[in-house]
Amino acid sequence: MSEASSYPPIEPNTFDLIIIGTGLPGSLIAATASAVGKTVLHLDPNPFYGSHFASLTIPELTSFLNSHSTASQPQSSTTTTNSNTSDYTILDLASSPLYADVEISSYAPETLSERSRSFNIDLGGPRVFFCADKAIDLIVKSGAGQYLEFKSIDASFVCDENGRLWNVPDSRAAIFKDKTLGLTEKNQLMRFFKLVQQHLEVSDHDNGNEGTQDSRISEEDLGSPFVEFLKKMRLPPKIQSIILYAIAMADYDQNNLEVCKDVLKTKGGIDRLALYNKSVGRFPNASGALIYPIYGHGELSQAFCRRAAVKGCLYVLRMPVLSLLMGKESGRYKGVRLASGQDLFSDQLVLDPTFTVPSPPDSLRKSVEGLNLRDVKGKVARGICVIASSLKPNMSNFLVVYPPRSLYPEQNTSIRAVQIGGGLAVCPSGMFVLYFSALCDDAERGKNLLRAAMSALLKIPDSENAESSSEVQNENAEVKPTLLWSATFIQELITGEFGYISSTPMPDGNLHYSDLLDATMKLFHEMYPDGEFFPETASPEDGEDEGELSLES
Amino acid sequence: MARPGNKIIQAKMVLLGDMGTGKTSLVLRFVKGQFLDHQEPTIGAAFFTQILSLTEATVKFDIWDTAGQERYHSLAPMYYRGAAAAVVVYDISKMDTFTRAKKWVEELQRQGNSNLVMALVANKCDLEPKREVETEEGEQFAQENGMFYIETSAKTAENINELFYEIAKRLAKAFPSKPTGMNLNNEVRDRRKLSCCLG
Repeated sequence: MSEASSYPPIEPNTFDLIIIGTGLPGSLIAATASAVGKTVLHLDPNPFYGSHFASLTIPELTSFLNSHSTASQPQSSTTTTNSNTSDYTILDLASSPLYADVEISSYAPETLSERSRSFNIDLGGPRVFFCADKAIDLIVKSGAGQYLEFKSIDASFVCDENGRLWNVPDSRAAIFKDKTLGLTEKNQLMRFFKLVQQHLEVSDHDNGNEGTQDSRISEEDLGSPFVEFLKKMRLPPKIQSIILYAIAMADYDQNNLEVCKDVLKTKGGIDRLALYNKSVGRFPNASGALIYPIYGHGELSQAFCRRAAVKGCLYVLRMPVLSLLMGKESGRYKGVRLASGQDLFSDQLVLDPTFTVPSPPDSLRKSVEGLNLRDVKGKVARGICVIASSLKPNMSNFLVVYPPRSLYPEQNTSIRAVQIGGGLAVCPSGMFVLYFSALCDDAERGKNLLRAAMSALLKIPDSENAESSSEVQNENAEVKPTLLWSATFIQELITGEFGYISSTPMPDGNLHYSDLLDATMKLFHEMYPDGEFFPETASPEDGEDEGELSLES
Repeated sequence: MARPGNKIIQAKMVLLGDMGTGKTSLVLRFVKGQFLDHQEPTIGAAFFTQILSLTEATVKFDIWDTAGQERYHSLAPMYYRGAAAAVVVYDISKMDTFTRAKKWVEELQRQGNSNLVMALVANKCDLEPKREVETEEGEQFAQENGMFYIETSAKTAENINELFYEIAKRLAKAFPSKPTGMNLNNEVRDRRKLSCCLG
């Protein structure tokens, strides 16, 4: 904070929009609001970009998790001050924890600290993109793509009840080569794929043409659970599992519809299949459907912030915001007071939803309602492991899905694990980062889910101070990678809110960004009903001609 | 422009230095041959490409400007990533910009890219009567930090081409490697039909 006060004062002091927090949704809003001509100030109390969407070194990650978790939450010592000396009522902001049950263990502190700067670990992982994701379209359209590079996820696997990993096929050839499928099963599969393909082609070209009824999946089927449709098509259980959990990415047990919290309908399932299909082969050097950004997902926030800066958005990191300034008469939001003591004003404010106003006076309660009634939609358990060798020889980046009940009978949600190697510049070469996530109702169940998946894949040293990692190699025939470092935590799922003061959504439990993107787009349209979310711009490729000057525009 | 058979080096070059030291003016002089007396603080133009042909190689520069994010010391790590060359600029008529230039060099060294070609540019040398930073000071600091030193003026164009040719020459010698990935601009145009997976 001492650094904050040494900054030159921010000029001007009035903006159309002030955004606090450089997480991905805030960065998207900054970039698009700047692109439609709004004056925007984007602040972040942290010394890095990305907030809860950042990619960090191990020490940064450790301190960020701890400072945003229940255990070490500093009690806000200041109470709401009603200063009568100015035209504003001043409401002090406090932050409420996003993370709980943070457990961090280091099994090789020396090895890691030597190379601590080579890590870019995602806070909100695991995340990957389908090549045909709308997030990818947005990255290209917005111009942010010129700052980003991606690499392929080499393969995806699904685990069965016996602990065996099955490859998710990405081509027809892969299905035919599969020796575990009989001829009848292969024929059933072909019939299914043909039907899906016809259905999609017909839906793409003409809607509601009577003559094409036969080649479409019936409305009745589209509205029924996807799992029943797959059974009706007589697909083998293994294939059902691959489609439901590794392609459609269902979270809850689709085979137990009574307790399933989110039943995937056939329509949704077919859409996910179509997305998968469109993803394979979209980019020439992507080998499968999935890609991952070099240097981690924190690059996305940085790329959109740079887009915003190019359009005139002002950036100030390391600048905490202490309080809100509310109009005395109107009771409406007017501005913010920074840690530097400066007061800044704007028409609108966007905050990340971890901010709260501890005890607003009654007259102002309505204005800050959205901030204090956090819409918590459950929890996600996340785990991050740094390992000394790959889980699979000759393969560095891949996805493993553990469908519900595949690890233990009480496992009620899917656990997804993504391994990313040093080639993606997320860790020193030779090491790998393994991310886990699973939706959960409470911390205990969440931790059980993580533990089950971690012990299925890794050799976890017994004691916390396992200096003697070399001796565990004797006898054990099965070579599992050795764990160097791990963090597990439970994160609340909070969606954004629009009001006098708006808040952005926090990372969700998905691999993809589609829901976050939709929520952010909705928020933007509520804030600026006339604004276009990322207006069309000239193609960023224009500058590639030799000798040509290319300007960002 | 590119000579056939010549090795082609694609090099990301970043500009660093305090606001108002003339980073954008240097590049505009180089790529467009123009100079504006009152160049606005950088907004809207922050990415340039320019090709230089040497006998030993053809260097294609992707020049990144700060987009104003240096103003409150809020440059993203992305800015430095994969950079092959860095140009640290100060204004010879303002001592504090030289002090800040030293800080930028430290920041670059923290990024830990040993192949990085670094130039220390003493800009606005047309302002000789107002000089606050002596040539020897700049030269000495550059030498101590493995950089090359050059005095330029974007206004008079003095040493501008020399600066970029020297960087290109050093790049051709070092030919740095950077992690390569795919970018999203080369989408497969004639996509395989829907049949590639589903049937």
